[in-house]
Amino acid sequence: MNQSTHDTASHSKREHGTTRSYVFGFILSLVFTAIPYYLVVNKTVTGTLLLATILGFAFLQMAVQMFYFLHLGRGPKPLYNVGFFVGTFGAILVVVVGSIFIMSHLHHNMMPAEKTMKLAEDEGIHQIHGQKTGACEGVHANHKITIRNGIVSPAFVEARLCDTLTFYKEDDVDREITFGSHPNHGTYAGETELTLHKGRGKMITLGQPGTYQFHDHLNPGTAGYFTVTP
Amino acid sequence: MAHMVTALEKSHEEKVATDRVMFGFWVYLMTDLLMFAILFAVYAVLHGNTMGGPSDRDLFSLPLALGETLILLTSSFTCGLGMIAARLGKKNQVLVWFGLTFVLGLMFLGLEFREFAEFIHEGHTLTVNAFLSSFFALVGTHGLHITSGLIWLGVTLAFVWARGLNAHMVRKLALLSLFWHFLDIVWIFIFTIVYLRAFV
Repeated sequence: MNQSTHDTASHSKREHGTTRSYVFGFILSLVFTAIPYYLVVNKTVTGTLLLATILGFAFLQMAVQMFYFLHLGRGPKPLYNVGFFVGTFGAILVVVVGSIFIMSHLHHNMMPAEKTMKLAEDEGIHQIHGQKTGACEGVHANHKITIRNGIVSPAFVEARLCDTLTFYKEDDVDREITFGSHPNHGTYAGETELTLHKGRGKMITLGQPGTYQFHDHLNPGTAGYFTVTP
Repeated sequence: MAHMVTALEKSHEEKVATDRVMFGFWVYLMTDLLMFAILFAVYAVLHGNTMGGPSDRDLFSLPLALGETLILLTSSFTCGLGMIAARLGKKNQVLVWFGLTFVLGLMFLGLEFREFAEFIHEGHTLTVNAFLSSFFALVGTHGLHITSGLIWLGVTLAFVWARGLNAHMVRKLALLSLFWHFLDIVWIFIFTIVYLRAFV
């Protein structure tokens, strides 16, 4: 009987811990809190190494508390709770590391700034993350330019900033409208070349002030210009 | 002798019941841990999105976070000592150690509340940007757990005080201490990932 009582007591101590093991765990916890705090405040190491070090101490701390406070692994066998913890830990790893990995690559693969600006202007997105993109907002006047048999009419358009300009082609010749003088083409508000199809207009937003030439790249004589005043 | 065997059998039955309840509670804790992991992932992804507002480094105070950590660590320790006393059937010690745990938990909550109140007072509310939303969601969820733990602890202590310790009560305290140690571990990661990381 004595033997049995003794067994139960030692079993209980092993499973639930003693004052000594709690004190030991507590002291280890304090040490594992103080070291990363000291490292961060004094910047003994920096950057990724520091980040890895403090994360390492967090996991050490977790291990200490799981062992000395939660007595993980010392309960009745088989250790279902340990198994469950390992499974959960795996799921957590997938969720956390996966999220960070995917999102950082998403940022990495974002379009360059000028492409974003072009997209914003084309789609009329005048605000991204609360900041003005410079794209035009609201409805403004539309100006028409018709090209028929090589004649541009009107050959000169005067418009205000944020008006729109539509090119129409009413003959059977293919037209590629480019900006600037031939053959060194420039761009206008992100547009480099407009291919015109019969019966369909191409509209651009006049988001850039100044005077600009345009011409048909395949037929440089077909040309005109427009002035955009702010 | 026959009486002895019955008592032993009964205690064996009790132990099996306790093990089963403890495992069930452990499963709950693991699902809770998953939820925290998702909040951590959200914070890790969004903590830089301040929309031009102040960043984590501008807002957080390291000494405050250290204070909160030490208080919670100590409360975890007193909770463990209370559990040893509970298994030995020492009612007064249980009341003292768990009472200390309760007071320390309240102190922790007070500090967290003060930090939140300060942020909100200065206009850094949870609707301002993604960083603050994810911060309040993560740290606030932990704070809510601490709050419910304190309510649970208060009620249990009242029962211990009024009715004394029995096997049923010790089991309740064991679950409670499991919960409390668990919250301590979650806080260690909040301390490291939210507060310490901000100053790396």
